[in-house]
Amino acid sequence: MRPMQKHLKTRFLRVLHMTTDVQTVDNTAAAARPRVQAQAMTLSTLLRLAVRLLWRDWQGGELRLLFLALIMAVTSVTGIALFTDRLEQALLAESANMLAADRVLSGRDEAPSEWIEEARNRNLSTAETMSFGSMVFSDEGNVLVSAKAVSSEYPLRGKLIVAERAFGAGAPIDGGPAPGEVWVESRVLPALSADIGDILYVGNAQLRVTRVIIQEPDRQQGGMMDNAGPRLMLNTADVPATEVIQVGSRVSYRYLFAGASQDLAEYEQWLDERTNGEFRLRDVRDESAEVADALNKAESFLMLGSLFAVLLAGVAIALTARRYAERHFDYVAILKTLGCTSGQIMSLYMSIQVVLVIVAIIVGSFLGWGIHALILQALQAVISVNLPPAGFTPYIIGSMTAIICLLSFALPPLLALRKTSPLRVLRKDLDDNTLGAKLPYGIGLLGSLVLILWYSQDVLLTSILVLAVFGVVLVLAGISWLLLRSSNSVGMKAGSAWKLAMSATRRRRKQNILQVLVFSLTIMSLLILALLRTDLIRDWQAQLPANTPNHFLMNVTEPQVSGIEAFFRENGVEPNQFFPMMSAGVTRINGETPILRRSDEEEQSNLTERSAGTEQAAEQTESEGEEERPRTVSNRQVTWTNRLPIDNQIVEGQWWGDDAQPGFVSLEDDYAERLGAKIGDVMEFDVGQGRLMEATVQSLRTVRWDNMQPNFFIIFSPGSLEGLGGTYLSTALMEQEQKALINGLLQQFPTIVVIEIDALIEQIQNIIAQVTSAIELIAFLVLACGALVLLACVTATLDERFRENAILRTLGAGRRLILSSLFIEFASIGLIAGVIATVGAETSLYYLQTQVFAQDFNLHYWVWLAGPIIGMVVIATLGVMATRRVVNTSPLTVLRHIG
Amino acid sequence: MINIENLIKRVDTSEGELVILKGVSLTVNDAETVAIVGASGSGKSTLLGLMAGLDAASSGEVILGGQRLSELDEEQRAVLRGQLVGFVFQSFQLLPSLTALENVMLPIELKNDPNAREKASLLLDRVGLGERRHHYPNQLSGGEQQRVAIARAFASEAQILFADEPTGNLDSATGAKIIELLFSLNKEYSTTLVLVTHDERLARKCHRTIRLVAGEIVSDETNAETSEDAISAGTAHDD
Repeated sequence: MRPMQKHLKTRFLRVLHMTTDVQTVDNTAAAARPRVQAQAMTLSTLLRLAVRLLWRDWQGGELRLLFLALIMAVTSVTGIALFTDRLEQALLAESANMLAADRVLSGRDEAPSEWIEEARNRNLSTAETMSFGSMVFSDEGNVLVSAKAVSSEYPLRGKLIVAERAFGAGAPIDGGPAPGEVWVESRVLPALSADIGDILYVGNAQLRVTRVIIQEPDRQQGGMMDNAGPRLMLNTADVPATEVIQVGSRVSYRYLFAGASQDLAEYEQWLDERTNGEFRLRDVRDESAEVADALNKAESFLMLGSLFAVLLAGVAIALTARRYAERHFDYVAILKTLGCTSGQIMSLYMSIQVVLVIVAIIVGSFLGWGIHALILQALQAVISVNLPPAGFTPYIIGSMTAIICLLSFALPPLLALRKTSPLRVLRKDLDDNTLGAKLPYGIGLLGSLVLILWYSQDVLLTSILVLAVFGVVLVLAGISWLLLRSSNSVGMKAGSAWKLAMSATRRRRKQNILQVLVFSLTIMSLLILALLRTDLIRDWQAQLPANTPNHFLMNVTEPQVSGIEAFFRENGVEPNQFFPMMSAGVTRINGETPILRRSDEEEQSNLTERSAGTEQAAEQTESEGEEERPRTVSNRQVTWTNRLPIDNQIVEGQWWGDDAQPGFVSLEDDYAERLGAKIGDVMEFDVGQGRLMEATVQSLRTVRWDNMQPNFFIIFSPGSLEGLGGTYLSTALMEQEQKALINGLLQQFPTIVVIEIDALIEQIQNIIAQVTSAIELIAFLVLACGALVLLACVTATLDERFRENAILRTLGAGRRLILSSLFIEFASIGLIAGVIATVGAETSLYYLQTQVFAQDFNLHYWVWLAGPIIGMVVIATLGVMATRRVVNTSPLTVLRHIG
Repeated sequence: MINIENLIKRVDTSEGELVILKGVSLTVNDAETVAIVGASGSGKSTLLGLMAGLDAASSGEVILGGQRLSELDEEQRAVLRGQLVGFVFQSFQLLPSLTALENVMLPIELKNDPNAREKASLLLDRVGLGERRHHYPNQLSGGEQQRVAIARAFASEAQILFADEPTGNLDSATGAKIIELLFSLNKEYSTTLVLVTHDERLARKCHRTIRLVAGEIVSDETNAETSEDAISAGTAHDD
């Protein structure tokens, strides 16, 4: 032995004996068997090994997709949660401006002062307003105004925008007019030939005009008749001096409340108990059906988008974790031969997952914050309120998503690793089915269900989503059953690209079915969101197109119609249809007294009915305390015309058109159903002062109630009600710069009433613009998640494709043959996935649109062609891009790399 | 050291049950070197796997270090492997994510030995790879990888070494060097060596050659040229 070797040996033996606790086995006696007890790996050994494994896997790229999927899950969910959280607050704040408060209590009588006192005791801010119609005089003229007295705290939310001169540029101001002052809308001043600083006479009070109101947050709230005429605002302290409010005067009292949600909720409960539910605080959703509808749909869409993001991120995690686990079979087998127990292996992989999830949560939370900030930046133009800072909840939601996704999707395949047989070091073909166990998928599905339910708290939405996924799985189970029935050997069939691709598809049918499942779910999610987004935005745009009239003209007499039309034409305003209008009530249908069945839809927002004032009041009185009972039919505002109004569609019978004969009536579809009226029924109406008339039902119509147009439950054929009196109703679109025309109009036709809803329309359009932008961005985020899933799924089967194609190349297959075969294989998978996704998307959309989004469902014919083509092209492109390396790398390198 | 009694291994295949080992019995003494030879499919690797506790037999018994493996579950077998057994494989089976040094350190670390780094370094010096200790397996040649694997096998202070075709993936010159190293270390530490091989020359370097045909032992011969060594090694160990 050479000296160096001797030295080494001595040193080695010395080191070997440095440890005294090495267990040795006495070979002479069976009694001295080694203690078969696992020695726990120390934490530092475990962590060191975990970190090394993590680092090398990261460098080797094996962890990147899993890590990316985790980060994507945290980023998308945190980002969306942050965004929706703050957006919802912004939308509610914006909407609260429409009320000038968070909650409103309104009525025709004053509320007991102890109610208001109680609210103040509960830390709520309060303010009150009184609205009434009144003539106001100046030294040179007079005008009918919609007067509104406000307390000094008004408005609680939003701001009045005022100017120093009529039609001037406005600036926000805190509070309302001080006692002794009045503020008026621009057109009041020219109508009275008055100016800022002049004295106006409101009843017996003399008040000085100090400002011009340009914008008032809750301008459209209250009855339409309360808002007829331009606004004059005064302080409540001056009301007694005016002496305009007498017993029997028509006054709208509104009590405004603002404060923390919890305080508001507790106060609502207190009030509810005090009044047996007779008086209820209303929020913006109660007050504006249009805004409520937009908000509700936007929330549902954002939620759906988030759910898809969670689901897709989960699928991406499951796929990448599975591949990661598959690549660690050998690793675990070696560790086991070295004496690692299952428990130690579990600890090792658990610690890797813990490190991974912690890093993903930190990175994802930052990215999520960044994404939401970017979205908000993009929306800066449309979000006009200051957003409150986000809470911690979105970060918790994002973190929980990562943890639950990892627990349910990634951990099962990783835990399955511990069952790897150490014999795999000798026989590589073993244990490939360890991950095929059903349990991990069951855990994954259960985990995702819990996650979705916890996240959405919406059973209906979750059920539709789960059923859609279940449907796709069921279809695929059928396909796989059919494919697996013919389990004879397939072979390579390497003669042509087609044959090669088809044989590859069948040979890898289990993998391919999994891929089709993932591709189908991903494409389905993206199709659902894309189609829903398009339909929602289209509906909203159709609801309030740019040319929506923003003024209602009421109380117009027949001789005034042509004069008003001429006035508009002279001043560049397009006159709209004039609807004759009168009050009528159904007394009999086919000789029987009708009973109206209650329906929520009866509460539909209807400007025509609202503007009639008494109609709504009558309905409310009837409904109080007897919600479950059928009710007698009350009067409706009816019209007669030979032109079918805008957004009305005949669903049964025929519209009479220009050849109309008197004695026919057309009913709104739902109203007819609740009345029990059908085509051909003879209805008897009380048209006022005990006069009765009969008409036959000729058609049933659907009506779009939220289009801000005159809408009617009952329309008679022309001639039916002629000679019975009534007034006319019309609409007009007048831009801001044309508003002074109203003065001229009212001067020329002093008896008509002009109701201005331009502020309301602008507010609704603004909110809809915000939710539209939000929807676009969420759809984009989900698209990014979808792309990741597709990539993860393509990558999941890369190893086998690499190996097969490397072998084919060594056997002389050309680059073109392999690429063509890969393209065909992926394209076929994409095509099948596209077809299944399209069917799944359309079916889900049917339920989503009819049950959740209250929309009409129509088949999207183009998608039936586009879905499969998109599936085919996207999957084929992604697949070939991911696998083309196989033809650009030497087969030896590929084989050596994969092993 | 290793007693095998009537060992049978059956597996289920798509064409029915297949009996890989048909009642194999043998004894391997301490410090003895035994070669198991046979054609492909004769059951050599299966026998090795069962002897090392990598798999469970269908029936029969393996007694390893005085412990009946049939009485142990996989967890306990893993612990026993960690305490008694070292492996050298045909495909080296190094962990690709660890350097040569870290691979050798691993079994020492698993025993919570605080001197893992020093011991592993010495072993790498011993196999002639001291300079390449920080290289990863894919940066090493086949022969170098196998030397790391041998260092790792001895690092676990195993009393029994199982080698599955240790030269199967190497050219003959490199293979010869590896065999020299393996036997030299084996002799140095008086380890029991069970070797599966196709290579008759390699088999002749062992004390005994057991020949398997279709899952049965057809011969168990003592190699004359190495019997002296066997006796002296056994005596040395018994001392």
